Amino acid sequence: MRSFHLPRDGLVPFLDGLNKKLELIAPVMVEGEPVFVTWSGEKLALDSENPLASPVEFFLPQEEVLFRYVQYSGRYTFEEEEPRPRMIFGMRPCDLKAVEVLDRIFGSDHLYVDRRKSTVIAVLNCTTPGESCFCAQLGTGPGSEDGYDLLFTEVEDGYLVEPGSPAGTLVLRDYADLFTEARPHHLAEKKKRLDMAEDAVRRSGPLISVPLIEEAIEEAPWEEIGERCLRCGGCSFVCPVCHCFNVVDRGVPDGERLRCRDSCIFSGFARMANDINPRISQGERLRNWYKNKFVYLPERTGLVGCVGCGRCSRVCLGPIDRKGLLKEVGI
Amino acid sequence: MSGYLPLQAEVIDIDVESSNTYLISLRILDSDRNLVYKPGQFLMVSVFGLGECPISIASSPTREPLQICVREAGRITKGILSCRIGDVMGIRGPFGNGFPVEKMKRNVLITGGGSGFATLRSLIDYIMDKREEFGEVTVAYGARTSQDLYFTSEYGGWQRAGIVVGVTVDVTDSSWKGNVGLVTTLLEELNPKPGSAALCGPPMMINAVAADLEVRGFQYPDIFISLERHMKCGVGTCEHCTLGPYHVCREGPIFSYDKVKGML
Repeated sequence: MRSFHLPRDGLVPFLDGLNKKLELIAPVMVEGEPVFVTWSGEKLALDSENPLASPVEFFLPQEEVLFRYVQYSGRYTFEEEEPRPRMIFGMRPCDLKAVEVLDRIFGSDHLYVDRRKSTVIAVLNCTTPGESCFCAQLGTGPGSEDGYDLLFTEVEDGYLVEPGSPAGTLVLRDYADLFTEARPHHLAEKKKRLDMAEDAVRRSGPLISVPLIEEAIEEAPWEEIGERCLRCGGCSFVCPVCHCFNVVDRGVPDGERLRCRDSCIFSGFARMANDINPRISQGERLRNWYKNKFVYLPERTGLVGCVGCGRCSRVCLGPIDRKGLLKEVGI
Repeated sequence: MSGYLPLQAEVIDIDVESSNTYLISLRILDSDRNLVYKPGQFLMVSVFGLGECPISIASSPTREPLQICVREAGRITKGILSCRIGDVMGIRGPFGNGFPVEKMKRNVLITGGGSGFATLRSLIDYIMDKREEFGEVTVAYGARTSQDLYFTSEYGGWQRAGIVVGVTVDVTDSSWKGNVGLVTTLLEELNPKPGSAALCGPPMMINAVAADLEVRGFQYPDIFISLERHMKCGVGTCEHCTLGPYHVCREGPIFSYDKVKGML
């Protein structure tokens, strides 16, 4: 596919134009923090750290309506919502990898699949990684190689724009006058910037690899780590791969059945009626959290369930250094 | 259409099995077709406004109507038990793998206790209706007290179909004339011939019975246990029912004992 160049001052007109046709989701500053929101022209927050709330939430929201039930003389009718066409602009490569894992888990979930199909993903390559990132160690960033519809990389005078799917190409087509053909020096600059970002991640981040983590999971003092856990569930709510959910009803006789994000580190998560709990201690639950990401999910999907975004470390009140599990066991 | 949309099922009959356990017969309203299922599979049953929970199918696919056996154990089961004939509940499914009935066509021992016995009743009725395809069939059923025994009116029918039936209770009272003790003591008396086995019950009981059966010449890969877990989706995505690498809702709820030994 052909690559393009978009000058810096062309970005807002491009997004403005798209915003008239579809719901555009992009990162903006909200009370000093970058957050992905439905964009309505606010100043974009593209230079800051990857937002703590992953844009994956637009595929698996913290709370969503599965369907509405309406009762009439003892019988019910059900209503479902149709997904709207959307574009997520500015998703980082690590989060795109998380979407790839979720695609394999939720491949038969109509709500997820419909939403996914109606969403164009425009990834922004990560040239300013954060301190907690370890994507380079896991091979999930800082650059995306595939899976996106559009790939943006910041270059000196604007953005290199590479379509990765027909949907991506079609999005660009109506704004052809904003783009010019990319030049070889744009591609060279992309490589240089990503190499620098990768070096930065490797320098600041720990020495991590999947086999080392697997080893650490077996050796870690889980009961002691569990004692330090404040059981807030923050790690699972910010993790772009975490997808545990609960299903609850709201409303009688008419109402809605909701899917709400849940966390497997909560004590009641696996608890059955009559108070039977297969995972009693916090240590067991944390071990299960790691084991699922680094052992069970790879077995099930072929992909590691951690994308190195470092959000769990950023949010943990513990103190449990999530990416520092290896330090915990002295490897 | 989303996989979360339930079918509506009308309650057409309610049998009281014990003070807190009812056998509920259902007729599906939203579809002309009957539910196609296997013994050992389960449904997600919902009361609109309260929510949804996993309930094993108590009827055999060889029979009508569809039945579920529900014991009051929490908020949603309490809601299910408060239904009356003519009320509507939601059902999704069937989910799970079910018993590998083709592999079990030889001597069969069906044993267990507790409310999980509902799923074994589906298997017993299935075997009854295909009796000539199976060898010697033995049912060894234990409950806490005689008041907690389910399907008491059906044991005679099972026996007439050539099934050996033994029943035991842990705690006796004046009205009980039968066996007292654990299921393992009942096995001593019934002395089932090796073949395949179907088990349900609390983990301690499953481990004890499996160990006992091994001594009797049963192989662990032929011992199938029915597991219970908290479930929300039924299709292996919500992660509530995980057991090590398995999702009990999808790879289970029936596991051969060799797969889950040490994990219970």
